[in-house]
Amino acid sequence: MNDRSASHGATGRPPASCLDRTAAPAPAIDLELTFYRALAARRISRRQLLETVAKVGPLAALAPILAACGASATPQPSAAPSTATTSNPPASPSVAPPSASPSPTAVPSPEGELNVYNWDAYIGESTVTDFTKATGIKVHYDKFPDAETMLAKIRSDGKGAGYDIAYPTSTEIPGLIADGIIQPLNLGLIPNATNLGAQWQNPGYDQGNAHSMPYMWWTTGFCWDGAKIKDNLTSWESLWDPAYKGKLSMLDDIREVFAVAAFRLGLDPNTKSETDLDAMVALLEQQKPLVRTYTTDDIGTMNGGSAIIAHAWSGDVYQMKDDIPNVKYVIPKEGAVRGSDTMVVTSGAPHPVAANLWINFNLDAKVSAANTNYIGYMGPNAAAMEYIDKAILDDPTVNPDIALLDKLVELLNLGTDLDKYTQRWNALKA
Amino acid sequence: MGGRVRQKAGAVILVAPGVVWLAAFFLVPLAIIFVVSLGTKDAAGHVVLSHLGLQNYVQATRPEYLPAFANSLRYALITTVLSIGLGYPIAYWISRYGGQRKILLLILVMLPFWTSYLIRTYAWMIILRDNGVLNGILQALGIIDSPLVLLNTDVSVILGMTYGFLPFAILPLFVSIDRLDQNLVQAARDLYASGRGAFLHVTLPLTMPGVIAAALLTFIPAIGDYVTPDLLGGAQTTTAAKLVQVLFTSGRDWPYGSALGFILMILTLGGTLLALRSLRRETFA
Repeated sequence: MNDRSASHGATGRPPASCLDRTAAPAPAIDLELTFYRALAARRISRRQLLETVAKVGPLAALAPILAACGASATPQPSAAPSTATTSNPPASPSVAPPSASPSPTAVPSPEGELNVYNWDAYIGESTVTDFTKATGIKVHYDKFPDAETMLAKIRSDGKGAGYDIAYPTSTEIPGLIADGIIQPLNLGLIPNATNLGAQWQNPGYDQGNAHSMPYMWWTTGFCWDGAKIKDNLTSWESLWDPAYKGKLSMLDDIREVFAVAAFRLGLDPNTKSETDLDAMVALLEQQKPLVRTYTTDDIGTMNGGSAIIAHAWSGDVYQMKDDIPNVKYVIPKEGAVRGSDTMVVTSGAPHPVAANLWINFNLDAKVSAANTNYIGYMGPNAAAMEYIDKAILDDPTVNPDIALLDKLVELLNLGTDLDKYTQRWNALKA
Repeated sequence: MGGRVRQKAGAVILVAPGVVWLAAFFLVPLAIIFVVSLGTKDAAGHVVLSHLGLQNYVQATRPEYLPAFANSLRYALITTVLSIGLGYPIAYWISRYGGQRKILLLILVMLPFWTSYLIRTYAWMIILRDNGVLNGILQALGIIDSPLVLLNTDVSVILGMTYGFLPFAILPLFVSIDRLDQNLVQAARDLYASGRGAFLHVTLPLTMPGVIAAALLTFIPAIGDYVTPDLLGGAQTTTAAKLVQVLFTSGRDWPYGSALGFILMILTLGGTLLALRSLRRETFA
């Protein structure tokens, strides 16, 4: 029951490794990762899988697939994060992290180690080693393939399963606070919080960022194959256009789909009103006959040609470009959903001081920019903008026009009111 | 006397591990699901068992959900009929004409199990999608101009399920056909039955237990199948299992999901018993 509440977190978040600009990793390992994700998250970049199969040959590919199949049931031994790639021995632990902002005055001496639990390939290439160099803190860096695995693990003992730092999607924050899984941040240790853009200073899911700091963000709009649809689409209305009947896919995500209807009707995507929801579901009932499939595999559905227009996550569209060079993405004029991942400190963190220093380090302007430059996701860091690669800044898919930012809405945890959505969603799909 | 007691004790010892296994991993979870289905949940989605009642069952019998249950039933029935229809000739052929290669042929039937079902289902997606393998071949041969819409339809779901469950039908059919005393067929022919007549009046009735076993082994998993309809299906093919999945994951409503799952299970049980009764009557009447 601790699954994400219908947000991008689990199945929707693209495997960020696809955005790596480094040389391709060894095929076998890549295939294992790919398949593992597919198993865990029920979505797969089939392009990746096929490419790898093509590269190494089906027979050679089979062995790691089967190995991954067996291994993936329990991805990593819990509470025993794998050792990080740091060659530095723990140095004096009193070194303060580098920071664009002034260091805090009274720094409690940090612990010598830190257990970090993040998405796979969702951090800068040298961020971990840089942190160790700067602080002397040895980092055990462990990775999760989908949000549900991570949430299940940090909730398993009610206090973080031995991890200090985790990266939940923002919608999970209220639940994690209520259940005592995460602890308040020591904001005195995080002076770099001032680097956050104004719209990130006081998010709806966590007043004043008391328990979490935003890490990366994305949007949910829709995309289309520019070679097959020549029009410059700007409105959600296009997802109701009968011309695209059977060639349209919607995300298999309750909140995201209802949000689209809400934007079309000018309603609040976080509404709890039964009247609003009835109007939204009525609109979605009109759309259903046109829909080919509700799927979180927006990449595969577009790349496979089954859809030429799709409700999609921005990061996923970024990954469609290899197969569909003309793919277009828009944040519709009516508004769109913004999603974000956060950094939190678990309530049972063995190294709370080091954990707060880690968060501060990642909010440093240059570190944040290095993370973005490596993984291709935009961070919430206003001070980092000047260090981010031009190619990313110029890509409206990843970095939308500033004028659009005001139209973005973050989905909030609705508690039991989510039932109103779930019931209508099941009735819609049945 | 003492021997019988020893025999009984021996039987108990032999049966005990299986009974304990079934109790621990089937009956206990089933009981848990049933209790949870009577409960409620709090704002964070935790199951609350302080006020047990039937509210979830009342809620679950909404008419809006009927199409999904109808889809589940329809896919399971068609899959069962197709699996037996395709599987019977294969099993018959292996049994009668397999000769020394019977074992090899049976291994070939089971060969797909060596690859993960998920991988094989993804392979179907790659074959069936609009710019997939099948459409590519048909277009290259000039048979069709624009791609056939196969993926995300009834066709792809039924194809995928039949593919997946066919081996489960072939194996019991083979066993019952292989055990059939060929002298009986020979006797029928001696009494001037045609080949068709001998098959319809001797072979088929005597292999009915195999057909029933095949039907059960196909129908029961098929009606609850979630993976195949979810991956190969589309917006118009939602099954009951998908509704249960939504409630357990993004809906965070385990009690309601449990109730819906229980209803699906009762329907499966009912359908199975009905099928068994009608087939039995047909067989032994």
